[in-house]
Amino acid sequence: MKVSHGLIGICGGHARVEGAVLRDPATGFAVEMRDGCNAVNVTILLWSAVLAFPAPWRLKALGFLAGSLLIQAVNIVRFISLFYIGQYSMTWFDFAHGYLWESLLVLDTMVVFCLWANRASKYGAVPNDGR
Amino acid sequence: MTADKPLARFLVRGSALLILLLVFWWFLLLNPLLFLLRDSAEIFGTLILGDDSRQFVTETPSGDWSFRVPLEVVAPRLPQQSGPLQIHSIDFDIARSDVNAFTFSLPVFWAIVLAAPGIRRSLRPLIFGTILVAILEIVLLLIFVEISARNAAAQLAPQSGWTKWFLHFGEYLVVNVIPYAAPFPIALSVHRELRSQFCRWGEGTPIPGGRRPGLQSGAARNGRPRSKKQRRRDMGPARQS
Repeated sequence: MKVSHGLIGICGGHARVEGAVLRDPATGFAVEMRDGCNAVNVTILLWSAVLAFPAPWRLKALGFLAGSLLIQAVNIVRFISLFYIGQYSMTWFDFAHGYLWESLLVLDTMVVFCLWANRASKYGAVPNDGR
Repeated sequence: MTADKPLARFLVRGSALLILLLVFWWFLLLNPLLFLLRDSAEIFGTLILGDDSRQFVTETPSGDWSFRVPLEVVAPRLPQQSGPLQIHSIDFDIARSDVNAFTFSLPVFWAIVLAAPGIRRSLRPLIFGTILVAILEIVLLLIFVEISARNAAAQLAPQSGWTKWFLHFGEYLVVNVIPYAAPFPIALSVHRELRSQFCRWGEGTPIPGGRRPGLQSGAARNGRPRSKKQRRRDMGPARQS
């Protein structure tokens, strides 16, 4: 919330943080960051994939950290964009919130995992092929 | 770094296609797909869950979907009744907005497959995967309907804590997880090129006790039978160990 608020301020926008709510003081429009909105589901998906991949723990820790940071960065972009889309049109907000950003986050998570797994295998991890 | 380039390109192309195709789906494709989904649900729902006496699914004037699911429930006796109430089927409505999720996987799948390099080579996986995703969406809708019917029945006949938890978890998976996540593994499983380009972690790893990938047989390499010398060279180090 604070990062989103800070970024909006840096870019010249106006917003007010009220707990987990980001509000536009002019229009009164507000978005709330709930439990499911903090990209926790895709972060768990990434962590599960990283955990299941045969790699040294040092690389896994790197995957957890870097992957989570990347996902959170995308999620901040998502949150700020939804804050502005909602002020423009609620139909577009529903579409972007319910479908578009959800699938973009999953795509992002998949690519982040592939990037990590390709590098992890290059640096000495050998996948166990079950034989 | 060069191995990351195709992934970066895929991410950019995939994101752009996701935006385009999802907008196309939201404004143009949603109604025809819902129409097809309702007819498919009617056919398969009647076969699997429903009975022939009444339509399995109908559309209400407000656009919501009305279902009738056969379910044997014994409701506890109410003060004004002489005995327990036997229920044979449950009727309930599902908001149209809730059913949208069961058509959403198709544009996501198309975006992933079309983001892979080589559109011509993607045609077969596109068709095959579309059929798979369509089947999955019908199955998910039927599971969702069954769970909703059991949830409605729970208001009449209370369920155990485990059953409630299991139904709630199942509903979460069917509505919020599988439609969003399934297009990705399906695309990877039907599109060999996409899989080989992005899942490179199996490359160059030693195969325990087997042949080395670089020492393919002469016949496999150029279609000619191998000489004795070649065969000895191919077999040498692996046999010695």
